[in-house]
Amino acid sequence: MANQTTETVRLMIDGISISVPKGTLVIEAARQAGVMIPHFCYHPKLKPDANCRMCLVEIERVRKLQTSCSTVATEGMAVRTATTVVNDAHKSVLEFILANHPLDCPVCDQGGRCDLQDFSHQYTATSRFAETKRIFQKEYFSPLIETQMNRCVQCLRCVRYCDEVMDVKALAPIGRGTMTEIKSFGNHPLDCEFCGGCVQICPVGAITSRLSMYEYRPWMLKRADTICTFCGDGCQITVQTKDQELIEVNSAHSGGRNNGDLCARGYFGFHAASHPDRVTHPLIRRNGTLVEATWEEALLFVAEQTNRIKQAHGPQAFGGLISGRCTNEELYLFQKFMRLTIGTNNLDSSARYGHVNGVQAMRRVQGTHRWTVTFEDIVQADVLLLVGTNITEANPITGLKVKEAVKKQEATLLTIEALQPAVGTISNITNLSKQHLCVAPSQFGAAVLGLLKAVIEGDHVDPGIRQRASDYVSALSHAVRQIAWEDLAVSTGISSDSFAQMAASVVRGRRVVVLAGQILLRSQGGYGMCLNLLDLLLLSGKLTSPGCGFAPLAEENNDQGAVEMGAVAELLPGALDLTDQDSRDRMARAWKEELPLVPGGTLIEMVDRASAGIIKSLFVVGENPVGSLPSQIRAKEALSKLDLLVCQELFLTETAALAHVVLPAASAMEKAGTFTNTEGHAQAVRPAIDPVGDSRPDWEILSAFSVFLGAPLEYGEAKEILKEIRSVIPGYGSLGPSPIAPTADPSAIDRYVTEGYRHDVAIRYTLPPRAVRQEGTVQLGLVQSLFHSGKFSTHSKGLLQIEPSAFLQMNPVDAARFALGSGDRVRLSNNRGQFITTVKVLERVPEGLAWLPDHFAQEALRLFDCVIDPDTKVPSFRTATVSVLKAT
Amino acid sequence: MTFKAWIRTITFYELVVGMKATMSHLLHYKPITMQYPHEKRALPDNYRGMLSLLRYDDGTEKCVGCDLCEAACPSRVIRVVSAEVPGEPTKRYSKEYYMDMTRCLFCGLCVDACPVDALGMTREYEWSVYDKRQLHLNKEQLLAIGDRSFPVREKQLELQHPNVAFFNVAFKHLPQKPD
Repeated sequence: MANQTTETVRLMIDGISISVPKGTLVIEAARQAGVMIPHFCYHPKLKPDANCRMCLVEIERVRKLQTSCSTVATEGMAVRTATTVVNDAHKSVLEFILANHPLDCPVCDQGGRCDLQDFSHQYTATSRFAETKRIFQKEYFSPLIETQMNRCVQCLRCVRYCDEVMDVKALAPIGRGTMTEIKSFGNHPLDCEFCGGCVQICPVGAITSRLSMYEYRPWMLKRADTICTFCGDGCQITVQTKDQELIEVNSAHSGGRNNGDLCARGYFGFHAASHPDRVTHPLIRRNGTLVEATWEEALLFVAEQTNRIKQAHGPQAFGGLISGRCTNEELYLFQKFMRLTIGTNNLDSSARYGHVNGVQAMRRVQGTHRWTVTFEDIVQADVLLLVGTNITEANPITGLKVKEAVKKQEATLLTIEALQPAVGTISNITNLSKQHLCVAPSQFGAAVLGLLKAVIEGDHVDPGIRQRASDYVSALSHAVRQIAWEDLAVSTGISSDSFAQMAASVVRGRRVVVLAGQILLRSQGGYGMCLNLLDLLLLSGKLTSPGCGFAPLAEENNDQGAVEMGAVAELLPGALDLTDQDSRDRMARAWKEELPLVPGGTLIEMVDRASAGIIKSLFVVGENPVGSLPSQIRAKEALSKLDLLVCQELFLTETAALAHVVLPAASAMEKAGTFTNTEGHAQAVRPAIDPVGDSRPDWEILSAFSVFLGAPLEYGEAKEILKEIRSVIPGYGSLGPSPIAPTADPSAIDRYVTEGYRHDVAIRYTLPPRAVRQEGTVQLGLVQSLFHSGKFSTHSKGLLQIEPSAFLQMNPVDAARFALGSGDRVRLSNNRGQFITTVKVLERVPEGLAWLPDHFAQEALRLFDCVIDPDTKVPSFRTATVSVLKAT
Repeated sequence: MTFKAWIRTITFYELVVGMKATMSHLLHYKPITMQYPHEKRALPDNYRGMLSLLRYDDGTEKCVGCDLCEAACPSRVIRVVSAEVPGEPTKRYSKEYYMDMTRCLFCGLCVDACPVDALGMTREYEWSVYDKRQLHLNKEQLLAIGDRSFPVREKQLELQHPNVAFFNVAFKHLPQKPD
């Protein structure tokens, strides 16, 4: 709240004198004074509406009762909330509400935590109305959200939340007076973002979750505050369980980084952990099939095989892969296990799929491995530039921060997205943007270069940087001069004027935040684009200013943690360089053991080495290279050649199906630890249920391996590992409600602008190759769906009800061109193979592109070409050109 | 020791006083023990015996699965698993209902708590068993107890509207929503 006035006013509430910032509402002031004023329609997140009349209070020298939720506190105000007049008013309001409210509390899921119930008890309100109660026709709202409009008190919190916070506008009040009911627009079931916000915000039982309907009563539930395991936003969720059964997920207002807001994945996706297909017993391959075994047998088998391979081929015959969904403790222990117990640097995590691009760019330019901004800076930014984020679907809660910045703080939103502004079932961030450039994902690089060219040629370069690093500025000026506006216009379809306008907006901003999403990070040349965006901030003098920064968004919940824990080949814990002697010495001192010298192989290199027979054994923790990498990489063939493949998994994935030993791992609902979210905030994960079956947390399994291999890394609980992490990386762990963002390191920037930028400037400042689009083809992009995250969420029964399978999403113009409609079967083919799927026509998909969510599309992966970044070794396989044919 | 006390001691006077009732019953014999299995006592009207689940006159279960009996029970006798009635969406019922009668102290709080009078305390008390597990009763057993103990069933209130819960049927005419 730095930008708000610090002026305060003093007022009296029920005789308690309190001083609050100017502009505070009386109801908020009363809350601060410890006086609870009953209310239905008021919610701190929403604008005051004052429609329920429940919060009436008496204010001295004001003739009538006032609604405290819409009255601003003024100096010297004297408020009384418990006088007879006020009590009578509250009673009458309750009486009117109870005139229509059915007395079905015993069967209502809200019964026990219902505001109306509580106030009725408080005021012993009864209704003298003998008239019939209103009854609404029962209409099915959605498979996940249940409405019982008879219970509605018409506070319109849900409608206002859907509009003001989510920007979805899926709900509307229909009808007048007492006959007002909440409905979706149009005569169809609710089709929205399914964020669950209306369920959470409803003060009564009018809107409830159908997923756990009638399975519980609120007093039976046990709560555990933990962190959502889907995207990188790191939302705090409260998992509610009843007898080891996952019942419901909530998020408390003002709790966590998400401030109580969730998305469909967080709110309805929790059942993934309790899916019946979970691996519950260790499995060992005997005579070609996986059979159940005991933990002792499995561990002994792994230890024997590992010792045999190590003696025959040395430590470099091993490799390790870990998922970015594991906790920091597990990631740390995994890399320690690989580096010390096994003795190799061949290890990688799923951060390699894209997040490494952003982190390495930040390390190179500004010397940090984290954002220099926080979510609060996004909310307070005055210019936000989004590049390739599709933020609503990929990082919905960061998206909410952007929406808040635009809608409440009036920030200027600039977007470079492969997204068309359109009114749709889910909110579209480009609808809010002041200037939107719609660019195909393969041409994001060109659009970034256009912006840089506009900054340099529009003479917007910061005089400070021009003076300090004239060589750097002139080298970049020279580089952008090589690119003609005409070529840029052909590549991106955007004129130089638009670029100039956007550049001017960026430069004008005082607090500029650039958000780069997974579409950019995972596309070809993602590393170069990140560097170019950082160049943009440097040239406009924003990189080091407070509130400004570059923010690459993580896809998996702990991608950032994976990098910081050193679970990638080239980095040690704390994102220290493996090749740096000082860092190596520091780690060796901490671990009291020398680190392996041979540089490690990354994900693709390990697969290559496995197929070449150099790597004989692979430890895979929660990762699924066979299912995630395109067929061109031949991961399946490579992994089948291994002498020992050990998988620690929740489900029998494509990779686990090839394994020699599959060990049941506990999901994040069943273990303790920490997750680091995309902004670099480490937050505590707490177990909500006991491990399913015989499964154990991954760190326990790794610890057991090390004991069986004779080099024990023993820990009693996850906290002990965190303690060790803290000793290696000072101050790591949960540190209060919000992160303290690092500042850009001036010496790193100096290094970059004097020498660091030189070696690849020519490569980065060339336009990406332009694909000539042929008739009958579209550019297919693998995208992230709002309703899924990775493959994990496809085990969640709630999310499967919203999105049961992958659809090819297409623009109506393209669909018409191919004579396709929603629901038609379509055959996608190119020279690499073909894939049949179903079409869904969506206006937000730009013309010439088609989207395929990558959560189900195993076979579709064969259509994609894989390009490996020469610097960061990130495999990118997100776009392909395919011809489209209607299948019969 | 006085002479009076001495006389009492040597005549075992205390014993005579103590045995007075016994002696008089020995002479005027009138048995008060009931020959239990053959004759039974008249129970008071508010006798709290074995618990049971009740039905309406049309045979439908009264229980709506609200779990309030479970919440009211001081000794955790009751376990309710509630769910939606199959085929009748949004209608709640108890899919499973268990009572562990070994723990029950017959306080009747569950009967008080029930919003639909689905629980009844019968006059049955002959529930000695050889195996304690037989006192762990499920829904069918409890309904059977109710069936035999309460032959006169309450009339099922007519549901005027499929979208009205049982609890708000205190009116006759329902506003018809215009199409």
